[in-house]
Amino acid sequence: MSTAKIPPLTYKVIAECSVSKARAGLMTLRHSEVRTPVFMPVGTQGTLKGVLPDQLIELDCQILLGNTYHLGLRPGIETLQHAGGLHNFMGWPRAILTDSGGFQMVSLLELAEINEHGVNFRSPFDNSECMLTPEHSMQIQNAIGADIMMQLDDVVKTTTTGPRVEEAMERTIRWVDRCIKAHARNDDQSLFPIVQGGLEIPLRERCVTALMEREVRGFAVGGLSGGESKHDFWRMVDVSTNHLPRDKPRYLMGVGFAADLVVCVALGIDMFDCVFPTRTARFGCALVNKGQLNLKHQKYKHDMQPIDAACGCSTCKRYTRSYLHHIATNESVSCSLLSVHNVAYQLGLMSSMRDAVQRDEFPQFVREFMAEHFDQEPIPTWIREALAAVCIELPADATIETKVEISAPTSPPKDLKLSS
Amino acid sequence: MHCHPVLFQMNKVNMKFVIKNIAKSSGRLGQLRIKEDVELSTPLLMQTTKGGSIPYLSAEVFEMLLKQQQQQQFLLQLTLCSMDQMAESLGQWSRSLCDYVGYPGQSTLLLLRDPCEATPTGGNDRDVVPMFTRRGKEALTAKRYMEMVAQFRPDVYQGMCDADTHPESTKKRVQKSVDRTEKFMEECYAEQAGKQESFSQCTMLAPLVGGYSTYARTQSIQHARKQPSESYGGYIFEGFHTNGLAATNLKSEQLLPIVEHCMQQLETDKPRFMPGAFTPPLTLELIRLGADVFDTSYAYLAAANYKALTFNYDKDAVPAVQAVFLDVTDDELKEQFTPLLSNCSCLACRQHTRAYLHHLYKTHELLGPILLMMHNLHHYLGFFEVIRTQLAQDELPQLLALLTSQGSYSIQPNTKVIAKAAMGKGFSSNAA
Repeated sequence: MSTAKIPPLTYKVIAECSVSKARAGLMTLRHSEVRTPVFMPVGTQGTLKGVLPDQLIELDCQILLGNTYHLGLRPGIETLQHAGGLHNFMGWPRAILTDSGGFQMVSLLELAEINEHGVNFRSPFDNSECMLTPEHSMQIQNAIGADIMMQLDDVVKTTTTGPRVEEAMERTIRWVDRCIKAHARNDDQSLFPIVQGGLEIPLRERCVTALMEREVRGFAVGGLSGGESKHDFWRMVDVSTNHLPRDKPRYLMGVGFAADLVVCVALGIDMFDCVFPTRTARFGCALVNKGQLNLKHQKYKHDMQPIDAACGCSTCKRYTRSYLHHIATNESVSCSLLSVHNVAYQLGLMSSMRDAVQRDEFPQFVREFMAEHFDQEPIPTWIREALAAVCIELPADATIETKVEISAPTSPPKDLKLSS
Repeated sequence: MHCHPVLFQMNKVNMKFVIKNIAKSSGRLGQLRIKEDVELSTPLLMQTTKGGSIPYLSAEVFEMLLKQQQQQQFLLQLTLCSMDQMAESLGQWSRSLCDYVGYPGQSTLLLLRDPCEATPTGGNDRDVVPMFTRRGKEALTAKRYMEMVAQFRPDVYQGMCDADTHPESTKKRVQKSVDRTEKFMEECYAEQAGKQESFSQCTMLAPLVGGYSTYARTQSIQHARKQPSESYGGYIFEGFHTNGLAATNLKSEQLLPIVEHCMQQLETDKPRFMPGAFTPPLTLELIRLGADVFDTSYAYLAAANYKALTFNYDKDAVPAVQAVFLDVTDDELKEQFTPLLSNCSCLACRQHTRAYLHHLYKTHELLGPILLMMHNLHHYLGFFEVIRTQLAQDELPQLLALLTSQGSYSIQPNTKVIAKAAMGKGFSSNAA
């Protein structure tokens, strides 16, 4: 194959923010070019819930995430192999990233038990005991055929402390070598190792250093976004990106709230994923810059505006909040409509950030975003600190208390803040 | 008397129906003009909806599907029982009903009941009909019903009726449905006459009830025909079934004689609406007897029960006899990397395989019913194209013979389906 000569992943920094660590890049994969920073919607079981591949292409989505654990169970490796991989199986022509399957085991299964060999678990379907090893994870991910795959890592709860954290980090390094060795399609698929180390800076540094000695095309930062304090969260991201090489993409796993995305782009992250935008859609929530609108709320019953007048998605072009209020959680089509909007929102936010970095106006973008997002509420301290660490200073919280709300009926009310 | 010109203006029927051709053994071809710039060919397939949306499909997706079709205009069949809670909002909505549900420029018809769901029996009274909504049963008076219609402002709506009859209904029940419907309709006509500005853009359909009794049906028809011809724009047949899957199990030898009896008593220049999930062969028979407008509830019910429609209506296809359905729950599909139906040009068949649809069923993913609905609607719209073409050549009997050679078209409930795809209270948020 002629393509075998070209690496399955090339990454090029296109622009860097002159103030923060933010960068805009272009990642070229077998199935698609991906402009970074990028948000990857999660299509857990080989579909983004209620959205057609053609609709995702219309939204300019370039890469989707699939879950190895779910796909390995259904449809199973054999079927995926016979189908010629997940791209063929689900009819998605663009790029795919798969996780290792380990995270789901620890988060979904009570019976998961980890030892040096791998993750031992009981199948939720037939109750049989199975073992997911680094080798097995590679085998499934090779069958899935995603453009980017993840190493199996030793996942501990983010709130865990003590020697278990270090053990998990060390084991993750040992497992990456087993993954590299077992990876059978290095000419088509790129394996990312995962930076672990809990909430301890020295462990994170040690892990990054060790992983950088391996020949890989990109890195993931894991073990975060699991309930740890935001104070710890941003520091772990910061220390990781400080040491990771400039010329390779960096993926922060499981992060997708708007404010977190903006902060972590400033800290130098290139790739994100999160189920939140599509999950919240199923509960009748629509994302906007100010937070999210819970459309089931009575105040939207007669609200004849679109979710966001400035949004160009097919939902905002046609439907009012009032109509969506009535069908949300009642008619299944509401899942599709709100998922389309929420994915459009996430992708739009990333696109705005890429543009801002390329114009070298990223700090200004961050200030405007935070002002709008938090509106009249104070900006959380962790965000101020994280941004200050990359030299983006936010103005002090507005002291003008009595802002006259002239546009009271039209301004979207704030239901829920996305900050921690 | 100055009420005369007022009456004339008020009774203006906006909907226009022109018969283009009556074929001896096939039925009638016509043009239905619902409002300006919307001209639809009959026999027509209305798009059935739930809560104002085509089931499972966003407007964006439905329009992707429509690109493959010849006819770009359609009639949305909305149901009050699935949209009742929108009445107040619609009262405040300044644009048209079709805009509110995401289909600007299209035309709308409002039904009281949902042909896709079995309507529970009972709850009828002298003064009210029951409306079964998501939140339970609500008793509707004719006055309240007409108030809601005025809030919705559909292009076409049905008059209120007691339609709680089916093939096994007693004589007494049937007679009650006729008598009560007469009473409700007197009130509907009066409301319509009294609120001309509310109804000036809306055309009413006269409901015909009377179960399977020739006597009762005649009485119902006579009552409708007693009204000034301008007070309603067409007929809607009610009371043959109580919606849902039951309509797919009707016996033609029971239904056809009574329908024929009715058709003979109707003037030709008014369209005849026949909502419900009649099977494709039965639909052809009803068209032959003179019915003009149907809906897509059959395509929906097949999709909701994980069946892809695969019956062949192309007389040149080889083989001519194909399976009526493809059951997507069938484990044999697990590794069939072929389209639901070969040579089908719908998006689901062009881009996806049986194996994938089976996987979506197994995982209860919402995309499953979406793709099935797309395929089934595409197939059914194509079926109606062929009906119109064959009808023009008086070849409906041949089409009927082709259809009946392929097996049974009744839809059995799919008991394997665990929950309505990841919706409502049954949200399964088992994602990563």
